[in-house]
Amino acid sequence: MTKKTLEIYSVELSGTKDIQQTDERNGKEKYRGLKNCFEPRKNHHKEELRKELDLDDHKLSIKELEKKYGTNIITGLSSTQVAELLARNGPNALTPPKETPEIIKFLKQMVGGFSILLWIGAILCWIAYGIQYSMNTSSSLDNVYLGCVLALVVILTGIFAYYQEAKSTNIMATFNKMIPQQALVIRDSEKKTIPAEQLVVGDIVEIRGGDRIPADVRLLSVQGCKVDNSSLTGESEPQPRSSEFTHDSPLETKNIGFYSTTCLEGTATGMVINTGDRTIIGQIASLASGVGNEKTPIAIEIQHFVHIVAGVAVSIGILFFIIAVSLKYQVLDSIIFLIGIIVANVPEGLLATVTVTLSLTAKRMAKKNCLVKNLEAVETLGSTSIICSDKTGTLTQNRMTVAHLWFDNQIFIADTSEDHSNQVFDQSSGTWASLSKIITLCNRAEFSPGQESVPIMKRVVVGDASETALLKFSEVILGDVMEIRKRNHKVAEIPFNSTNKFQLSIHKTDDPNDQRFLLVMKGAPERILEKCSTIMVNGQEQPLDKNTAKAFHTAYMELGGLGERVLGFCHLYLPADEFPETYTFDVDAMNFPTSNLCFVGLLSMIDPPRSTVPDAVTKCRSAGIKVIMVTGDHPITAKAIAKSVGIISANSETVEDIAKRLHIAVEQVNKRDAKAAVVTGMELKDMSPEQLDELLTNYSEIVFARTSPQQKLIIVEGCQRQNAVVAVTGDGVNDSPALKKADIGIAMGIAGSDAAKNAADMILLDDNFASIVTGVEEGRLIFDNLKKTIAYTLTKNIAELCPFLIYIIVGLPLPIGTITILFIDLGTDIIPSIALAYEKAESDIMNRKPRHKKKDRLVNQQLAIYSYLHIGLMQAVGAFVVYFTVYAQEGFKPSILINIRVEWEDSNVNDLEDSYGQQWTWYQRKYLEWMGYTAFFVGIMVQQIADLIIRKTRRNSIFQQGLFRNKVIWVGIASQIIIALILSYGLGSVTALSFTMLRPQYWFVAVPFAILIWVYDEVRKLFIRLYPGSWWDKNMYY
Amino acid sequence: MAALQEKKSCSQRMEEFQRYCWNPDTGQMLGRTLSRWVWISLYYVGFYVVMTGIFALCIYTLMCTLDPYTPDYQDQLKSPGVTLRPDVYGEKGLDISYNVSDNRTWVDLVHTLHNFLAGYSPASQEDSINCTSEKYFFQESFQAPNHTKFSCKFTADMLQNCSGLTDPNFGFAEGKPCFIIKMNRIVNFLPSNGTAPRADCALLDPHEDARPLQVEYYPPNGTFSLHYFPYYGKKAQPHYSNPLVAAKLLNVPRNTEVLVVCKILADHVTFNNPHDPYEGKVEFKLNIRQ
Repeated sequence: MTKKTLEIYSVELSGTKDIQQTDERNGKEKYRGLKNCFEPRKNHHKEELRKELDLDDHKLSIKELEKKYGTNIITGLSSTQVAELLARNGPNALTPPKETPEIIKFLKQMVGGFSILLWIGAILCWIAYGIQYSMNTSSSLDNVYLGCVLALVVILTGIFAYYQEAKSTNIMATFNKMIPQQALVIRDSEKKTIPAEQLVVGDIVEIRGGDRIPADVRLLSVQGCKVDNSSLTGESEPQPRSSEFTHDSPLETKNIGFYSTTCLEGTATGMVINTGDRTIIGQIASLASGVGNEKTPIAIEIQHFVHIVAGVAVSIGILFFIIAVSLKYQVLDSIIFLIGIIVANVPEGLLATVTVTLSLTAKRMAKKNCLVKNLEAVETLGSTSIICSDKTGTLTQNRMTVAHLWFDNQIFIADTSEDHSNQVFDQSSGTWASLSKIITLCNRAEFSPGQESVPIMKRVVVGDASETALLKFSEVILGDVMEIRKRNHKVAEIPFNSTNKFQLSIHKTDDPNDQRFLLVMKGAPERILEKCSTIMVNGQEQPLDKNTAKAFHTAYMELGGLGERVLGFCHLYLPADEFPETYTFDVDAMNFPTSNLCFVGLLSMIDPPRSTVPDAVTKCRSAGIKVIMVTGDHPITAKAIAKSVGIISANSETVEDIAKRLHIAVEQVNKRDAKAAVVTGMELKDMSPEQLDELLTNYSEIVFARTSPQQKLIIVEGCQRQNAVVAVTGDGVNDSPALKKADIGIAMGIAGSDAAKNAADMILLDDNFASIVTGVEEGRLIFDNLKKTIAYTLTKNIAELCPFLIYIIVGLPLPIGTITILFIDLGTDIIPSIALAYEKAESDIMNRKPRHKKKDRLVNQQLAIYSYLHIGLMQAVGAFVVYFTVYAQEGFKPSILINIRVEWEDSNVNDLEDSYGQQWTWYQRKYLEWMGYTAFFVGIMVQQIADLIIRKTRRNSIFQQGLFRNKVIWVGIASQIIIALILSYGLGSVTALSFTMLRPQYWFVAVPFAILIWVYDEVRKLFIRLYPGSWWDKNMYY
Repeated sequence: MAALQEKKSCSQRMEEFQRYCWNPDTGQMLGRTLSRWVWISLYYVGFYVVMTGIFALCIYTLMCTLDPYTPDYQDQLKSPGVTLRPDVYGEKGLDISYNVSDNRTWVDLVHTLHNFLAGYSPASQEDSINCTSEKYFFQESFQAPNHTKFSCKFTADMLQNCSGLTDPNFGFAEGKPCFIIKMNRIVNFLPSNGTAPRADCALLDPHEDARPLQVEYYPPNGTFSLHYFPYYGKKAQPHYSNPLVAAKLLNVPRNTEVLVVCKILADHVTFNNPHDPYEGKVEFKLNIRQ
C-alpha cells in the first residue's frame, strides 16, 4: 500500500501515464455516474446529454472539419459568416438558470402565508358591506374601508417581502458579474481579440497558458498544452492535450478542450465546435438547474407556524361565528366578528419581520464571508448536522507548499502557515546551500512581472503547482530568485517528461573562480537516487552506501506516509576540462553525464490545511456536527489532512490502523473498535445503500477519498437518509447536482465554477471552511431569535382576540377596533420584534447538538401555550383593567357595561344613561369607545414592553443576559412608545383612525401588569434552571 | 435544497392521529397520561384563579377610587345631547311622517308621547319638590330624605296644550303636532350664566317662498327653568326628571318633506359639532300629508 502510494506521489511531475490510467477508469465511471444521477428524474435531459456526447468532431480530420464548419484554419471565418452564425446560434454564453417571472414571485408573496386569511377578511368586509348596502343604501362605508385597509396590508407586506427578496437576489447578480472573457480568434485572416461571447462555431481560436477555454474546441495544433478539467470532472491533476484523436468518447479524447476549463500551460490552436448552452458544461449546468429547489427547513417551520396560527384563527373564528349566530346575532354582525377575530389572530407583521431578521443575519454573514443567496438558507446552516466538505481549497490552502526537507540524514519541518513567515530549520549546513541552489535553478516557474509590492505567497506564478511551491519557498528563504537565476546562466535544459521523470538543467555558476558547469536535477526520488553514486552530508560528498540508501528510503517512506508529494534533488559539477566554457550542450544527444551524480536531499510538499480549519472542525464537533471529508484525492493524503485538521481526531484509528498496530489482517479487526474510516471511491462503488447507511451511522469520523463528484451525490443521499440536514461544499460543475441535492449547498467563491455557484444556496467568499462554522453559529442564533420574535408576536394575539370574544359573549362596548389592532401588529410591534434578532446567544450555542428537524420545531406546543395562555392572558387582563378604568372614570362602571352592546351601538339612541344618570348621545359614546380602543392599545403596548424584555432569554434570567447589552431592544421600546404617543396625541384628531387623546395616567395603569409579567417569567425561568428535566421544564420551556 | 418533508398517505396520518388521541403503549391521551392531565389542569385552574383574583382586586380597587356622586371626567359631555319625542327613525335620523286624515298613521306617535309623559304624571313626580325660584338650585348638602338631594317637579301639565291632557292627540289630528324636546342630563352641568336656556325650532334650509315656521312653545318661551340645574347625579337625585319643552308646529306645509331643527340656546350649549348631530340640537324630517 505504502509503496504504491509513494510511486503515485513521487511521479506527479512526470506521471502522465499513471494519471492517464486512473483517469480512464475514473473518467468512464464519472460520466456514467453523471448520467445515472439524472436518469430517474429527467429522461429527456439524459437523452439530450447523450446525443450531445455523440459528438464526432474529434474523429474528423482537419480537412473534414473545415468542410463541416465552412471554415479555414488559416484564414478563419469571414465576418459575414460570423454574423450569420451568431444570429442563428446566439452568443456564446450560458443561459442563466431560468428565473421565475417577477410577477409570479410577486403574486406568490401576495398569497403566501397569512395573506390568504387577510384576503378572506377583506372579502368578508366587502361582502358585509354588500349585504348592508342591499338592505340600506345609506349604510356606512366602514366595512369598505376596513376591507381596503386589510387588502392594503397584504399588498404592502407582499411588496416588502418581494423587495427584500429582490434585494438579496441583487447581491447575487452583482456577484455573478465577472470581467468579460476575451478570446484570441482568427477571422478574415486576421488575429483579433474579441469578447468570448461573440465566438461562433467554426472560429479558429488560439489558447495560451492561463486562459480559460472560451468554448468547446477541437484542438488543431498543440504545444505542451495541459488543461485543468477539474470543474468538469473533478479531477484535479492537469490533463495533457494533443491534436490527436485518442479515444472514442469525446470526453476522454485529448484533442478536445472544454468550455470554461482552464489551460494551465502551453499553447494550442483550436476550432470552436460548440458554443454556449450546447457545450458540455452548458449541458450539465442546465441539468443541475432543472433540479427543483425544495423547501428549506425554516420555510417548513414557518409554514408549520402559519398552519398553527391560521388553524387557531379559523377555528376560533368559526366557533364564535356559530356562538354569535346562536346568541341571536345577525349573520351580518357575526361576519364582522369573524373578520375581527381573524385580524386579531393573524400576526400581520410577522412574516415581514422574519424576512427582515433573516436578511439582517444574511448581511451579518456576508460580512463574515458567507454570501447567502437564499435568505432561508441562513437558518438551514444552523440546523446542519453533517457537513460534507471538499478538501482542496476548503480545508486546505489550495497551493502546494514545501512541508518537509530531508538532508544530512535529518528531516526538517518547514513552515506551512499561510504566510511562510518563519522558516526555522537549520540553514547553516553546506548541504542546504547546494540544495537551495538546485531548488532555485532547476525550476521553470516564474513570477508574473509587476508584483514586487505583493507579498511573496500571494504573487501569481506561471508554472505548475510543485514548481510554484519551490519557487515561493526559495524566494522566501533566499531572496530574489530571478536574480540568482540570472547570475547562474542557464545553458541547457531538459524539461519534465513522462519517460524521464526528471527535470534537468545546466548552468554557469555565479562563482567567477569556478569555471565548471553545474548540472542540477530534480524528479521522482527513486529515479534520482538511481542516478546517484554519492550523497552529500554536511556539505561533503560521501559515497552512497547501503546505510545511506536505507536512510533515504526511511525518510522517503515517512514523508510519503504523511501524504506528501516527495521530490529528490541531485547535482553534479561538470569537470572543467571535459566541459570547457565553450562546450555546446545538446539536450537531444545528451552529451553530458546523467548518472553518478551527487544526491543532495529530498523535499516534500503538501497542500497544507488552512490554519483556521482545525479550530473550526473542533467547534463543529462540539456543536454536534459531523464533518465528512469527500475528496478526489488519494486516501493517504486525504487521511493525513483529515488528521491534521482533526476530522480524524488524534486518538481514533481506522480499521487499517488497528490492523497495523496489532499486526493482524484487516479482516480480523473488530470493526466496532474503529471510530474513523477512510473509504475510497472504489469501495464506495461496491457498497449497497444499506452498507453505506451502516458506514455512516457506525463511524463518527469518515473520509471519502478518490471519489468522483457523482459519488458525492450518493454520499449526500446517504446522509439524508439518516435524517440529517446536510451541508455540502463544492466548486466544480459536477458538484452542482450534489449541491442541489444537499439541504444547503455551499459553493466556493474563489475557486467555484459558475454552475456550482448557481446551484448553491450559499457562497463562501474566502473558500474557507472556518467561515462555514461562523455561518452555523449565526444560523443557530437566528433560529433561537426567531423563536423569541414569534413568541413575542404571538403573545399579544390573545390580548387582541379576547376583546372580541368578550364583546360577543358579554356585550361590552367593543374594547379594541380592528384598525387599532393593525396599528399594534404593523406599528408598535414591528421594530421590537426585529430588535430581538440582535439578541446575543444565551449560552454557547456551539456546544449543543444541531436541532432535530422533526422534533425541535420553531413554534412548538410549549411556545404557543405559554404565549397564548399565560403571558397573552395576563396581557388581556391588564389591558381590560385599563379599559374598565377609562370607562368607569368617564361614567360607565363595569356593571352597567354588561350587555349594553345593542343600545350602545344603536345610533338612534341618543340619551343612553351611564352609571351616574348622565345621558349620552351616540357620537359621545362612539368617542368614548375610541378612547377605550386607545386605552386598550396603550395597555397592550405597555405590556408588550415587558413581553419584549422577557423574550430576550428563554432560560437565563434577564439579569444574567444583561438588560442593556442589546441596545436595539431599547430602540425598539422607544419606538413603541413614540409610535403610541404619535398615534394618540398626534393623530388623535383623525377620526378614521379611531385614536383619541388619552390622559397621561392611563398610560401607567397597565404597568403593574407589565411588572407581573416580568416577575412571572423570571419565576418560570428560575424553576427551569433549578429543575432541569422536571415537569415544569417540559411544560414551560419553549 | 432537498425534500425534507416526506409525503405521508392519508391513512398514515389518520393512524398517527389516532395514536395521538390514544396511545395504548404509554397510556397517553392527546400526548399526556391521565395523571399528567390532572396535574396540568390543576396548574391552569390555579393560574386562572389567581389571575381572576388579581383582576377582581383591580376592579374592586378601581370602584373604591370612584366618587359615587360625580364621575371623574366628563371629557365627552361638554355639551348636552338633545332628543325628541316622538322618536321614529328613518334611514338617516329622525323621520316623522303621517297622514292627518288617516289616524292609523299617527296613533303610534301619539301613543309614544303618552308613554313618555307617563313619567311626568303627578304621581310619579310626588317625591320631588315644587320649585319656583327660576334660579340655579344649588344644594351643597344632602338634605332630602335618605341622604339625597332634592329634585324639582316637572309635571306634564306644564306643557299645557301639549300635555296630552287637554288634547289627547297632541295636535296631530289637525296637523299642528306637538314635539317634546328633552335635554340630556349631565352631572353638575350649568347651561348658562343666568338666563334660562330655551328651545328654538326652525325650518332648516327653508324654501325662499316658504313662510317662517310658527311655533308655540310650552312652557312659554320654550325655556328650561334654571331650578332644574345643576343635576347632581343618579345617586344624589334619584327622583330627578329632565325638564321638557314642547314645540307645537302651527304652519307645517302639507305634503312636502321639511327639515326642522330645534336648537337649545344657552351660553354653554354648543350645537356646531360637525360629527355629532344631536349635540345641542335635534333635527328631524317631517312630512304631513293630507
